[in-house]
Amino acid sequence: MTTGKAVWPWKLLLAVILIGMAAGVWGAVNRIDYTWRWNRVPQYFLYQGEDAVKIPFDGQIEKVSPMGDRVTVDLVAESGDKQQVEVDAEGLQVAEGDELFEGDTIGFNHAWHLGPLTMGLWTTLWLSACASILALVIGLLAGLARISQNYTLRGLATIYVEFIRGTPLLVQIFIAYFFVGTVFNLSRNVAGIGALAIFAGAYVAEIVRAGIQSIARGQMEAARSLGMNKFQAMVHIILPQAFKRILPPLAGQFISLIKDSSLVSVIAITDLTKSGREIITSTFATFEIWLTVAAMYLVVTSLLSQLVFYMERRLAVSD
Amino acid sequence: MIKAQNVTKIFTGRGQVVRAVDGVSAEIARGEVVVVIGPSGSGKSTFLRCLNGLEQFDDGHIIIDGIDLADRKTDINKVRREVGMVFQQFNLFPHKTVLDNVTLAQQVVRKRNRNDAEQKARQLLTKVGIAEKEKEYPSRLSGGQQQRVAIARALAMDPKIMLFDEPTSALDPEMVGEVLDVMKQLAREGMTMVVVTHEMGFAREVADRVLFMDSGKLVEEGTPDQIFSNPQNERTQLFLSQVL
Repeated sequence: MTTGKAVWPWKLLLAVILIGMAAGVWGAVNRIDYTWRWNRVPQYFLYQGEDAVKIPFDGQIEKVSPMGDRVTVDLVAESGDKQQVEVDAEGLQVAEGDELFEGDTIGFNHAWHLGPLTMGLWTTLWLSACASILALVIGLLAGLARISQNYTLRGLATIYVEFIRGTPLLVQIFIAYFFVGTVFNLSRNVAGIGALAIFAGAYVAEIVRAGIQSIARGQMEAARSLGMNKFQAMVHIILPQAFKRILPPLAGQFISLIKDSSLVSVIAITDLTKSGREIITSTFATFEIWLTVAAMYLVVTSLLSQLVFYMERRLAVSD
Repeated sequence: MIKAQNVTKIFTGRGQVVRAVDGVSAEIARGEVVVVIGPSGSGKSTFLRCLNGLEQFDDGHIIIDGIDLADRKTDINKVRREVGMVFQQFNLFPHKTVLDNVTLAQQVVRKRNRNDAEQKARQLLTKVGIAEKEKEYPSRLSGGQQQRVAIARALAMDPKIMLFDEPTSALDPEMVGEVLDVMKQLAREGMTMVVVTHEMGFAREVADRVLFMDSGKLVEEGTPDQIFSNPQNERTQLFLSQVL
């Protein structure tokens, strides 16, 4: 056996398989006569909108003074109040001396707006971020409680973990919103974030517990023999080492959480998934939008795993 | 300095009851170096771990500098500051540099500021002959070096007593000497030391007194001369004939 084995045939095989699969999908799609309209997708990220500028009172156009491609319009109300507005030159709808009623359009401004996909992505991101931080806190506390010497704490944590892991997230979201949310008058965002955090927290708790238990007993003994109390030993000695070990499974859990956050669309939170669904109802570009949504989730989760990979390398200095 | 009265530690598990330490009484004076020897499983390590409360004992009293560990009101963390311990497996903190290993407890427990702690740490690292490695992580050090750092770490708390739990048992033979040298120096400086070891040469050379334990009981005690040259108890004789 020598180590110098050629890799290129296998690379070639991989390429052939991938191309074959792509061609298969392509052929299958062609058979069902679907018209791809990828050009419709970009507008759902960013689009140029026309914002109407309206007169806030009944009154008259006193003066229209053009300034390049913008126009300044002076308004005077019947009561004598004056106001000045600016609109795009090509969007101007009025002339000097026109009499207008409150709410009539003076002209239009063009501006870039974030589309529903971008807004949905933003919602997904901050929702997941809040839920992750909460989950980490809940998981840390529950994980510590799981290995506590106190029977009650241990029992509570065990029941929490078992209940949450034993029921589907979708059901938990429904319970959080329709039951708990109704009783305590919670907004859907609070209910959604809460449900996600409590769900992920149970898994984080198990990861934390395993991480702490994987640290050699001698570490705790050494810390205690130096006079540190349990809390100090945990904070300075055990948790930093455990954190390094649990970083990969923790990252996996948070990636799961980002993906699971798509379920909150069932309680009418307009996250990335729900945005996608709404766009499809108005465009019927089903294939394009779902593929785009999937790709956006993939980008976010890949960035997160890259970040964790980088942290792992940073933490590896003491190995 | 240390007074152990009828210390008993019972392990129960799987229906078996093991009296790991069975009614051991001993007194250790200030500045004395006491070496505990005995076959493996004789309870000598467990006895040592009782002395700083790492192992809770079931009966008896251990009085360290006038404070009874068996008293529920005793703040064990306060006692441990005065009692340094060195472990068989070193137990250095792998995520901290050598310097941080030695400064951490000083800052957290003794509330010294960073500068004072570092100064103290450097002084001790120089003393154990490893000052040039202060920026390294423990994983880069040899066993002997790690154990010397562990000794420095314990000394940084200015303990009145040092406990050594088989400090050289996990070392490659060529590194045993460097650790024993540090311990000998400590003994000469008048540190009160309790050492569990299999290094009979060290016991003979440094110990003021030797305790021989077997099956949890303190079988025989005396000066190294008495124990090694003229053991009275049959079990001591048997053990020594096997190891010497």
